[in-house]
Amino acid sequence: MEKISTRFGEVEYDPENLLHFPTGMIGLPHLKKFIVMPNKKKGPLFWIQSTDEPDYAFVLTDPTNFFLDYAVEFNAPEKQTLHIEQDDPCFVLVVVTVPPDQKITLNLAAPILFSPKSNRAIQVILEKSDYSTKTPLPGIETA
Amino acid sequence: MLVLTRKIGEGIIIGDDITLKVIEIKGGTIRIGIDAPPDKKIYRQEVYERIVAENKDAAHWNMIDLDSLSDNLTTKKENNGKN
Repeated sequence: MEKISTRFGEVEYDPENLLHFPTGMIGLPHLKKFIVMPNKKKGPLFWIQSTDEPDYAFVLTDPTNFFLDYAVEFNAPEKQTLHIEQDDPCFVLVVVTVPPDQKITLNLAAPILFSPKSNRAIQVILEKSDYSTKTPLPGIETA
Repeated sequence: MLVLTRKIGEGIIIGDDITLKVIEIKGGTIRIGIDAPPDKKIYRQEVYERIVAENKDAAHWNMIDLDSLSDNLTTKKENNGKN
């Protein structure tokens, strides 16, 4: 086990068990390795902590928690980067921005593609979509 | 910045595997064709910059906000299950 000091205190992690972004996050190419942190609370949000730069952590979610029809197709180079073969499972996650007013937004324009088998992930840009980098949560009726 | 003058149909080669070609010039708009290996990521600059800004924005949040959000968020999936 190894330890790093983060904005949220000291975190212990198994270096064998990191989430690997071979090309980093977009605009932050040096952020290649992350610890997947379980949320203490129940709910759809969880977060990943960079081990390359301890100041950086991202809140993520499965976008279909909020947008049932959101789907992203993986192209061949992306599958190659993720080491995905044929029927390997692959998932789509998105980055959640949590401002101090707690009106969170999802970055549907740049989802993260993830392969649990290889523990690899890449962030891609959906150029031809109308998705916003700051998509507010859809109104949910609580009737 | 290197600045080159090109006419319609003329191109520019970057490295061994990227070719840019001026396809059309109309009004203030230029259409550019790009040949590059499929693993080369190509983005419109303003789109790319918007993503970079959002990533940097998203990296700085407070645990107290996440904790209190997690108590209050309802997902569509959960809602569907109930109905």
